[in-house]
Amino acid sequence: MALPVKPSPWSSKSIQGVLLDISGVLYNNTEDDVGVAIDGSVEAVERLRKSGLPVRFCTNETQCTREQLVRKLSRLGFTLGVSEVFPPAPAVCQILKERNLRPFTVIHPSCDPEFADIDQNDPNCVVLGDAAKYFTFEKVNKAFQTLMSLEKPVLISMGQGKYYKEAGGLKLDVGAYMKALEYACDVKAEIVGKPSPSFFNAVLKDMGVDASNAVMIGDDIVNDVGGAQACGMKGIQVRTGKFRPSDENHPTVKPDSYVDNLAAGVDLLLQNR
Amino acid sequence: MQTLRRFPLKSLDGVFVCCFRKMTTVPKVEAVLIDLSGTLHIEDTAIPNAVDALKRLKSSGVKVRYVTNTTKEPKRLLHNRLTQLGFAIQLEEIFTSLTAARNLVEARKIRPLCFLEDEAKEDFEGIGVEDPNAVVVGLAPSYFNYEPLNKAFNLLIEGASLIAIHKARYYKKKDGLALGPGGFVEALEYASGVKAEVVGKPEKTFFLEALRDLKCSPQNAVMIGDDVRDDVGGAQAAGLHGILVKTGKYREGDEEKISPAPLATCFDFPAATELLINKYL
Repeated sequence: MALPVKPSPWSSKSIQGVLLDISGVLYNNTEDDVGVAIDGSVEAVERLRKSGLPVRFCTNETQCTREQLVRKLSRLGFTLGVSEVFPPAPAVCQILKERNLRPFTVIHPSCDPEFADIDQNDPNCVVLGDAAKYFTFEKVNKAFQTLMSLEKPVLISMGQGKYYKEAGGLKLDVGAYMKALEYACDVKAEIVGKPSPSFFNAVLKDMGVDASNAVMIGDDIVNDVGGAQACGMKGIQVRTGKFRPSDENHPTVKPDSYVDNLAAGVDLLLQNR
Repeated sequence: MQTLRRFPLKSLDGVFVCCFRKMTTVPKVEAVLIDLSGTLHIEDTAIPNAVDALKRLKSSGVKVRYVTNTTKEPKRLLHNRLTQLGFAIQLEEIFTSLTAARNLVEARKIRPLCFLEDEAKEDFEGIGVEDPNAVVVGLAPSYFNYEPLNKAFNLLIEGASLIAIHKARYYKKKDGLALGPGGFVEALEYASGVKAEVVGKPEKTFFLEALRDLKCSPQNAVMIGDDVRDDVGGAQAAGLHGILVKTGKYREGDEEKISPAPLATCFDFPAATELLINKYL
């Protein structure tokens, strides 16, 4: 006797909007900064667009500006509009302006232009991004000294990622340095970017889609998938990018689905469309 | 309930004040552990009157050990620096967290990737470091850059163990505060999921190791230091008494950050020794 088939959670047409992570889902970066597209991802994005589903690119990328990221991805075959890309830096600038904050930034030099019209004299807060090799002891120490000199220290971290994948292997991400400063200064960082709910909600608002009708596809089980689920969205975990086998049995996050890559994830979403 | 009393005492400089917690029993102190950086000296400058205060303390007959988390210099250079400042200290009286770390590495037969300044590597001479299967982190600003930390992170996710010689948040330099190794250990723990084993202050085992050859039990020992959590808090958790001094990395209000509060909070090391000589020896 045939066993009853469980209906796929993706068979209903309740998904009305898709959020995609970039690094580890669309492409992996390389040391020469050119990057390499992940197999099937260019075509997968095209298929999503053709389906009529709104798509937004939700990234914690802080090693370059939005424009540079879009140009880089277009050289790999992707077609993204700058207004579809949501990195943390513009959101941070808005917060800095609203709260009269002048930052000491520890960021990749290529991200500097995002802060071009922010007053950085006489800093009264610290902003961290993925500075990679620019996370020198001197820079981090200066950030520490800045925070310790403030009566009300404010530490803003663009994401809290532990590591990310680059062609050479896994690399320490901004979260590690956020923890270093939190510990040394006994302060709590404010996270701007995934998995902060206000970040996800800003993207959903832009799409005009309710969280319950949206899905995030990402490689970071905590910040992409867990963060999205915490906001009421569905979360699909890809096995590319920074994914590690131990993520199949994560102690706290249970993705709605695991797929080998973005192409497989899009197959799942479009199977009944 | 603890009540704080102000207790005016004459010092070599004049009248000053120690605040201390009222105790139901006054401890009989047989041994004193003394922190070095921030308590007896700051880099190449002795704390004013500390040299004489130490002489007075030692001539009272109490046993003394100098305990330090300093990992930037080997014991030999540390001893030279202190002798040049006028302190009468013997090499064997110094117990460093670097020594404690070396003992651990040898006992476990592990091969460490060491975050130690070049000078300090002298105290790790003879330890095999080829094909590392462990990461040992001391105070090493020259190496706390991205590439070395990334290398350590990758070793850890491949199964290496993590040993922190200590996790000091920061320390005092002539020109202000500077990051200690603590933040970088936290960074590696967070990114790799590997928990560090801490060897130096404020770990209980460090204080008990320091007292071991003095044959003194913790309740008859006092720790004097400028770091409320690592010196005083750690010592008290190990069963010793703790005196906080307001020099070095001390910041206003530090004495309120631990519970129980320090046995006493003194202006400086000379004030602390006067308190000990007058009240507890």
